[in-house]
Amino acid sequence: MIRDITLGQYYPGESILHRLDPRLKILATLAYIILLFIVNEWIGFAACFVFLAAAIALSRIPLPFILRGLKVIFIIILFTFVLNLFMYDGTVLVRIWKLTITDQGLKRALFMAGRLILLIISSSLLTFTTTPIQLTNGLERLMKPLSKIGVPSHEIAMMMSIALRFIPTLLDETDKIMKAQQARGADFESGNILHRAKQMIPILVPLFISAFRIAQDMALAMEARCYRGGEGRTSMTEMRFRKRDYITAAVLLLFAAGIITLRVLI
Amino acid sequence: MDKTKLSTKHLIQGAVIAAIYAVLTIILAPISYGPMQVRVSEALTILPALTPMGIPGLTIGCLLANLLGPYGIFDVIFGTLATLVATVCSYKLRDHDWLVPLPPVIANGIIVGSMLHFAYGVPGLWACMAWVALGELIACYVIGLPLLKFLKKYKHIFE
Repeated sequence: MIRDITLGQYYPGESILHRLDPRLKILATLAYIILLFIVNEWIGFAACFVFLAAAIALSRIPLPFILRGLKVIFIIILFTFVLNLFMYDGTVLVRIWKLTITDQGLKRALFMAGRLILLIISSSLLTFTTTPIQLTNGLERLMKPLSKIGVPSHEIAMMMSIALRFIPTLLDETDKIMKAQQARGADFESGNILHRAKQMIPILVPLFISAFRIAQDMALAMEARCYRGGEGRTSMTEMRFRKRDYITAAVLLLFAAGIITLRVLI
Repeated sequence: MDKTKLSTKHLIQGAVIAAIYAVLTIILAPISYGPMQVRVSEALTILPALTPMGIPGLTIGCLLANLLGPYGIFDVIFGTLATLVATVCSYKLRDHDWLVPLPPVIANGIIVGSMLHFAYGVPGLWACMAWVALGELIACYVIGLPLLKFLKKYKHIFE
């Protein structure tokens, strides 16, 4: 069961989106999401849609792969859509028993569901085209100015990279512990939610002890190799802004300016 | 700075806590995300009572789990923020076992509940908050509190 889990959502590729600087991609995703909330008219919304569609086309990730990500959150999209549909006053379009669908409700439901879909796809696009290691490296570099005010940006990024490296190891470990407890008669599949929740404890305690033992060995190994924090540490691949990054940033700024102008004018 | 500098061992402990949080969230993914979530990994929010490394560990774990999860950037920002607030408060309450699991219930209820309402458009602010808080209540008190009692027996591993 645990074997089936794919970690992260990275889709290997060589497209321009894959090769952009991770720092730019993180900032661009944030900017796009802010823009989605600035938009309040259909024209702007359509522009956001076209922009994202263009980005997807450039990423050369197959559409079914992208839409698969939406399947997980289909329920919440449906929930949002249906609840918004019935909650607003306006001209009545359809009446089913005591529930009425109004034009305002329909408009709002479509808008909310559409925004949610764009929101999810845009942030998935970041994780589709950037490996977790690139993401943590990008975050470390973006956080660097914060170390001046005492935020330990190197330590945070280091913990993130080590945690990512540990996730597959601990998945295996959890699997092993679950099987060992089942062999001793533990039952994880029956009973109500409270009972099942309690059944997690015999997994968690050994998991902690084993994980902390691994941590101790690793700390020793790192110190034996003279790890001494972030000062003066060099990196094998240096991040640098290239021509494509500057062009992308310019396109994004133009798009943002357009959306904001639209909002001010309408 | 040197006085507060992390030892390598503590750094890795934080990383391991983050990894455990992420692993539990991912393994139990169907019930870990969304409005009706019971995130078993939230039971780990009792860790700040055992080691201060629980604060960065859980915050980073939450960041990674949300980054790998299907909910997008809002969950990454606000979910992580909620965890940071909760773990700091839990750390401050570390001498009172019964109060340690309370901050995550409140912080996640308010922050994640409002996020679902305002960012994802799920109607009913109070209902959103109550749902999230209920899920947290189960994770933190039914699993978290007994876990704290058991792990206290193995306190030496956190040193």
